[in-house]
Amino acid sequence: MGAFILRRTGVMILTALCLTLVVFFLTNLYPNLEKLAKTQGNARMTDDEVVSWLDRNGYGGPLLVRYGEWLGIVPGWTREDPNTGEITGRCIDFGMDPADAPTRCGLLQGDLGFSTVSDEDVANVLPTRLLLTLKLMGYAFGLMVPAALLVGVLAGMREGSRLDRSLSTVSIASTATPEYVSGVIFIVLFASTTAGMSGALTEWGWLGGDGWLGDRRTLFLGSARSAMEDITFWNFTLPVVTIALYGMGYIARMTRASMAEVMTAQYIRTARLKGVSFRNIVMKHALRNALIAPFTVIMLQFPWLLTGVVIVETLFNYNGFGWTMVQAASNNDIELLLACSIVAVFVVLLTQLISDIGYVFLNPRIRIA
Amino acid sequence: MKDFTHTTTQVQQQGGLTTHPVAEMYAAEHKAGRLDRREFLVRSTALGLSAAAAYSLIGATPAMADGHRAVPAEGGTLRIQQEVRALKDPRTFDWSQMANVTRGFLEYLIQYNNDGSFEGILLESWEANEDATVYTLNVRQGISWNNGDAFTAEDVAANLIGFCDTTVEGNSMATRMGGLVDEETGLAREGAIEVVDDHTVRVTYPSPDITFVPGVADYPSAIQHRDLIGTNPSDHGVGTGAYEITSYEVGVAATLSRKADHEYWGDTYLDEIVFVDLGQDPAAWFAGAEADEFDMTYETVGEFVDLFAAIGWDQSEVVTAATVVVRPNQNNAPYDNLQVRQAIQLAVDNQVCLDLGINGQGVTAENHHVCPIHPEYAELPPLTHDPAAAQALLEESGHADTEFELVSIDDDYRKNTTDAVAAQLRDAGFNVTRTIIPGSTFWNDWTSYPFSSTNWNHRELGVQILNLAYRSGVPWNESGFANDEFDALLTEANGIQDADARREIMAQLQTIMQEQGVTIQPYWRSLFRHSRPGLVNNEMHAKFEINVHYLGFAA
Repeated sequence: MGAFILRRTGVMILTALCLTLVVFFLTNLYPNLEKLAKTQGNARMTDDEVVSWLDRNGYGGPLLVRYGEWLGIVPGWTREDPNTGEITGRCIDFGMDPADAPTRCGLLQGDLGFSTVSDEDVANVLPTRLLLTLKLMGYAFGLMVPAALLVGVLAGMREGSRLDRSLSTVSIASTATPEYVSGVIFIVLFASTTAGMSGALTEWGWLGGDGWLGDRRTLFLGSARSAMEDITFWNFTLPVVTIALYGMGYIARMTRASMAEVMTAQYIRTARLKGVSFRNIVMKHALRNALIAPFTVIMLQFPWLLTGVVIVETLFNYNGFGWTMVQAASNNDIELLLACSIVAVFVVLLTQLISDIGYVFLNPRIRIA
Repeated sequence: MKDFTHTTTQVQQQGGLTTHPVAEMYAAEHKAGRLDRREFLVRSTALGLSAAAAYSLIGATPAMADGHRAVPAEGGTLRIQQEVRALKDPRTFDWSQMANVTRGFLEYLIQYNNDGSFEGILLESWEANEDATVYTLNVRQGISWNNGDAFTAEDVAANLIGFCDTTVEGNSMATRMGGLVDEETGLAREGAIEVVDDHTVRVTYPSPDITFVPGVADYPSAIQHRDLIGTNPSDHGVGTGAYEITSYEVGVAATLSRKADHEYWGDTYLDEIVFVDLGQDPAAWFAGAEADEFDMTYETVGEFVDLFAAIGWDQSEVVTAATVVVRPNQNNAPYDNLQVRQAIQLAVDNQVCLDLGINGQGVTAENHHVCPIHPEYAELPPLTHDPAAAQALLEESGHADTEFELVSIDDDYRKNTTDAVAAQLRDAGFNVTRTIIPGSTFWNDWTSYPFSSTNWNHRELGVQILNLAYRSGVPWNESGFANDEFDALLTEANGIQDADARREIMAQLQTIMQEQGVTIQPYWRSLFRHSRPGLVNNEMHAKFEINVHYLGFAA
């Protein structure tokens, strides 16, 4: 097992290197650098000014050398202003004496670099953002998995029953509705004063003023911004449900299939013939075996959640990791984007590792083979 | 607490000229009905007249000069929906939003008010000589920086010299300083900016220039400490204003709080101002308003004007010279062909652009980029809209089958307006393709697209925008327009103070713009802002300025 994990870690580092090199290459294409210069300098800069800005801010050197600087294996650039004699450089912060600055400052030195759009070290930006996303994903997962399993098991108990058909319809519909559709529908239905049900609730005196649901104007809040500081039922429900609903249908379908298969197995029939109650058959005999297959699917949802939050965080103005990634990409914030891709690689490969290990423990047949 | 309104009146009556020969001439023109009140105010206060004196010259009550500001209650936290962008050297600011945050501690020499008047902030008064070549700036006394240093004429001179430095990439102040910049060195002209004494700075232009005052009243001209010019204000926080940045998270929020150990020279009311960034989508702003996340918008656009009004928010509207141009670039075929450009103009009805582009929230314009509220606006015969003639011209030019690619940024009003132009061109027989480029990359090539739309902000004088955007070879000349006659006339207009004389030249300039088919400039935008009831001094500003020192909750 040790060698397995070690090999997986090696693959992870190699993948991260390849991916960051690709991201580095793409973000350093000249039009993207020009965009960076114009967002950082002035949107209406002339072409000469762009070249001079890039040169002055260390974007002038060869690509691989700068990638080396970011990794921390090549000394960071320094530049002396020909007019003022002022020395600036990659590793020299505002107000720092150039003599005290380290020669190398990159990933190996634990320096994730500087986010141009946030005007702040990446190491200061990312952790808070990741924590916010972790909360959102945690709640979404906490809602999605139990609900999906419940729906799946209920549907799979009696294949073809009325319950099965109605639950299957619901799960197919929820999987077929992406977040950017369901999110918008939820906002219109529950978070608008002019449309949906909030108007009616206000009229009945449930909302607004001193209604028993609070003095808000809408049932739920269509913006999860306040949840960044203080999560409440009203400001966090819509984003959580939006994410959970999309993934739920898929897991439910997998669970249903697995459950339906188990329910036709020999040992279930035997149990039935021996007169075990249906309730006991489901709870004690079928359930455990039926849950093995959905496990992999559930683990696969983690990397998917990472992309799902991009849409939901932008829609609900929740400034987490997904939102940061969108900002970094649209402003060509090179080092922030690189850090984001490392996190993404880490999450994808780590969940795969966990699912592989977990699978080994759940399924004895794999352990023997 | 001092009575703020009263203080301002006093200051304005002490500082500022009480009269000036040219201003008296303007006053006579105003009384004769040749100059409206706004024009009169822009011109006379630019010459150094205090607003109070200007009003009294034309027989209006001086109280009107500052009656536009109420005295709010003391204290409170106000939340403003506005983008929070990374700060940088103020001279390179390219978004008013950046200046609105820094205005809490970096103040300006002169402020532009919605009634068209200029008001001294860090300057107590200023005066221009008769031919507008020498400006004497009287620095307000008794102001200190929040690091304890005294604010003196040295600070003002150092900043003016900094404004003129063209070697700083993206320094748009250099364009505004005009003749003060030495074309050879790219720096301030020797002796153009002199410190006369601790409280007086003299600025000398080689030729008459009336754009100095509007130039230093613009948002990139924030005054920094003399030792900190060229730095990012968020790195040091040194300023003369009452506030300091206590938190700043780009794209998320920024907080200004009253600085504890700094005695502010003026009056201010709020304890804390929070700028809440809800992105660029107005739908998200509206959702934020319904979720009670802020108290006032930065700007409300399009259909959201009605929506915000519908949920009971107060509305503030200002008519401005802010606009959109849909311009062919004459350096590209087929737009180097005059007939093609004229056909484009004939094919487009500006009223349609106004209705479809900004929901009718503005007034139509006449394709010459000089606004009726500009002092030097000359009235020309109405434009003709004739799709049939356009088609005939197009065929005559031999470009009937040419594909016209019309580029715009991906947003609300600029995209809609460009769509409206494209649709009308198609109706007139043009073969049009529309290309929509995301906001993040649109500005990479904004001056060089063959045919595209760009928004322009309000400027106080008509010559300002012509200087910036239509003079041959200037960096922001996006239409590729180069016309010697136009340039010569414009230089002449820059130096003329007499209203009627300048208007004659403006009429020629405007006519050249139209005849040469330089641009489709369809309308002037009205700007809107909404706020929950009970806020004061938060009216929409023609140039998007928010001065946090004035804001507050109704007493």
